[in-house]
Amino acid sequence: MKEILKNILDYLESKVNYADLRFVQTEKENIEVENGILSSYNVSTNRGVGIRVLVNSAWGFAASNNLDKVSLQETAAKALDIARASALTKKEEIKLATEDKHIATYTTPITKNPFQINPAEKIDLLVKATKIMLKDKVKKSEGSFSFYKTYKIFISTDGSEIEQTIFESGGGIAAYAIGEGDFQKRSYPSSFGGDYATRGYEFIEEMKLLENAERISEEANQLLAAPSVPEGIMDIVLGGSQLALQVHESCGHPVELDRVLGKEISYAGGSFLTLDKLNNFTYGSPEVTIVADATIPGGLGTFAYDDEGVPACKSFLINKGKFVGYLMSREDAFKLGLKSNGAGRAENWNRIPLVRMTNINLLPGNLELDELIGDIKEGLYLDYNKSWSIDDKRINFQFGTEIAREIKNGKLGKIYKNAVYQGITPDFWKSCDGISSEKYWHIWGVPNCGKGQPAQAMHVAHGTSPARFRKVKVGASK
Amino acid sequence: MKDINSGKELINKVKYFLKNYGFEIIASEDRSELTRFAESYIHQNVAETNLNLTVKVINKDRIGVVQMNSIDDHTLSKNIEKAIEVTKITPKLDYHYQLLKPQSYKIKSKYSKDTANFNPLNRAQLVSQLIKEVNKREYKAAGAFKTEESTLLVANSEGVFAFDQGTKVDFNCVITRDNSTAHALFIDSDINNFNINKIIDELLGTALKNVEQIEIDPGVYTVILSPEAVAEILNYTGYTAFNGKTIMESKSFVCHNQGKKIFPETITVSDDPFDELTMPIPFDLVGYPREKIDLIENGVIKDGVYDHLTALKYNRKCTGNTLPPEQASFGALPFNLVMKEGNNSVEEMISSTKKGIYISRFHYVNILNPMSVQLTGMTRDGTFLIEDGKLGRAIKNMRFNTSVVDMLKAVDMISKERQTKPGFIGPTVAPYLRTNNFTFSSKTSF
Repeated sequence: MKEILKNILDYLESKVNYADLRFVQTEKENIEVENGILSSYNVSTNRGVGIRVLVNSAWGFAASNNLDKVSLQETAAKALDIARASALTKKEEIKLATEDKHIATYTTPITKNPFQINPAEKIDLLVKATKIMLKDKVKKSEGSFSFYKTYKIFISTDGSEIEQTIFESGGGIAAYAIGEGDFQKRSYPSSFGGDYATRGYEFIEEMKLLENAERISEEANQLLAAPSVPEGIMDIVLGGSQLALQVHESCGHPVELDRVLGKEISYAGGSFLTLDKLNNFTYGSPEVTIVADATIPGGLGTFAYDDEGVPACKSFLINKGKFVGYLMSREDAFKLGLKSNGAGRAENWNRIPLVRMTNINLLPGNLELDELIGDIKEGLYLDYNKSWSIDDKRINFQFGTEIAREIKNGKLGKIYKNAVYQGITPDFWKSCDGISSEKYWHIWGVPNCGKGQPAQAMHVAHGTSPARFRKVKVGASK
Repeated sequence: MKDINSGKELINKVKYFLKNYGFEIIASEDRSELTRFAESYIHQNVAETNLNLTVKVINKDRIGVVQMNSIDDHTLSKNIEKAIEVTKITPKLDYHYQLLKPQSYKIKSKYSKDTANFNPLNRAQLVSQLIKEVNKREYKAAGAFKTEESTLLVANSEGVFAFDQGTKVDFNCVITRDNSTAHALFIDSDINNFNINKIIDELLGTALKNVEQIEIDPGVYTVILSPEAVAEILNYTGYTAFNGKTIMESKSFVCHNQGKKIFPETITVSDDPFDELTMPIPFDLVGYPREKIDLIENGVIKDGVYDHLTALKYNRKCTGNTLPPEQASFGALPFNLVMKEGNNSVEEMISSTKKGIYISRFHYVNILNPMSVQLTGMTRDGTFLIEDGKLGRAIKNMRFNTSVVDMLKAVDMISKERQTKPGFIGPTVAPYLRTNNFTFSSKTSF
């Protein structure tokens, strides 16, 4: 395949300012079980080539699943035609931040190849876990696993030739307690499909689904009988799973430089972190340091090179509360006179790289969880996302969580349901006065971050440990 | 798979490799192109050709599903072999899997040769025209303009053969000048119905009014919702409450209210592929013909829509709403949501409102409580006060937390005019609505 791609690149070389070609082949295995019975077992293979060209400061991209040489030459010609059409509205020169030539190969380090584990073993684990959860009012239980092996070739007119094989594993379980006119859900290890990582089957084994299934079922039953969360302004502790989504929506998206430059305004929106705020804006309290780190082992946003051939790296976004950096592609980084920090990522061969999150991590603090909770007289501990919404500049947000626990005089108390909290992004992060230590820190995989037109679902992650926020508006969906 | 004959060839190949196993297949081939613009220039411009084949093998109530996007003999035989292997290791279903018998189909997707042949230059020329016009008023334009030709084949070993070709034009645009913004959407099968001048007028008409926004306090308000806003509410309601599987699991308000009149007489919502304004999908992904299903009729809660698996499992009738196998565990979705028109003009709705809010559009809607279809989200790109029967000052964006059930109970006016809007489920036909119970919970700074 690489030789065919090189031939196409040779054909394009004299006609473009820049071109890159990406071959991507993905194998996926998906298993879903409901109430102890297999509901779906799918295996899929998908492959194709995407060709991106920059001609006279106008972009063109064409992609095809037809991989013979003639079809790919036609696809390359189509990309050139499209770039000529784009030039009709050309405004200014498009230049890319410089990048070294890279010749490299990379494979995700894994212990157990998930595709070599007998499917019956994987199904059996979910069957057992979902059966355990069927107790009392839990009338529905579900569990799922997804495994991916993605092989990518990237070549560009910069001379880079990069081959990567990325393994991803993930899944989880959920219990639904159903009553008259109400139902409550509890998920494990995280909501909306569980937790994901660039790891092998060992990641699934470490989840200990069977050991946690009964507790999750009990909590779902307790939630059904629980009162709704009280309304008011109070101190809260966010658990790691919910905090991951808080980081995602209120930091990860607003630091995407393409949003800031208006490129996503018609769809996902813009950002309040405008260019004048870079290095000149207090985003949060001094406790808050957030980094983009695509190098951290096992994160779902971990790789060796992004889809523009830029090496994975660690860069600061928020440093001790100050806003210090964006997520950038090569094109957008050039506008700031910077180099890309390796955030140009494409969902698949048929999509162009956009500015995407990698592993966006809130660095841990130094408190024990007991200390975090112990300093709250009256408040709530909230975890596991149920609902999320944020305005198109990422200022006004609201999250719902599966479960809330009363905090009274520094101790955890009764369970509440239907918890919702609201805030204004910088005010909220400024109210953070404590983050628990590395002992509680975990990288949560989010396999469904949506952006772009045509839509692209990206696999990203967020390292978090539980954190405390003061005087937050909490209510029961009001 | 350019025509029926190539579809038949594909089935013969699948049959050859599968020998005597029962099967269902879904084959789709798409050619789609999308021109995206922002800051008044084309910044992304893409084209894609792709094919997807799903083969479901049925072996004595054991099922194996494989998907691929290449159908050369080697790939096909290897994948089918894998699907057969899967049926030997997976546990049995807890119900008997029946293959659908051959059906006849009353409708087809709409197809336009002009849409299929619309090229990147054609799209760029229209985008350029829009940009020039809005730039004259110092607005910047951002949006996406997509044209698509797609072919769909659904077949099975019992002789079901459903073949369809359609085209689609999908356009959206936001124009901005500081905090003054407006938004337009267009969806149709035929590019000849796309009128860029009308869209430019709509955009500038709203944007020029959406300036110097004032803040108002959160609370319960009378609101008039645009067809786009109504379409979004209908999509979330269809997704949350009218999925037959959710109803069977007692997770929807529908299961406690079937046959009850809980909404005003004027509220009728259906999944209706025959409505003249919709873009019909002729069959579902098992091959059931699509039919009109009433979800709410004259205020009475009827029933949801059912997919093949849920219908088999719970002994219900499949309503032609089956999703592809990779989404089968979700249940079913109403693909062609349609709300019946009312008798009012939009002007009457505004002029008879003493104090209220006009909402052009929502942003980032999500479900807070699925049982009451309580939704949250923000307003965006044009929210206006209505005072003493007149559309007045623009207001800053607000967050709503409101139950669709409570909101629909308080609907007192529905427009005669309806528009077709893209929804995340499918094209949605919606009127303007006025409701006296819509809760805003907080505001934002723009």
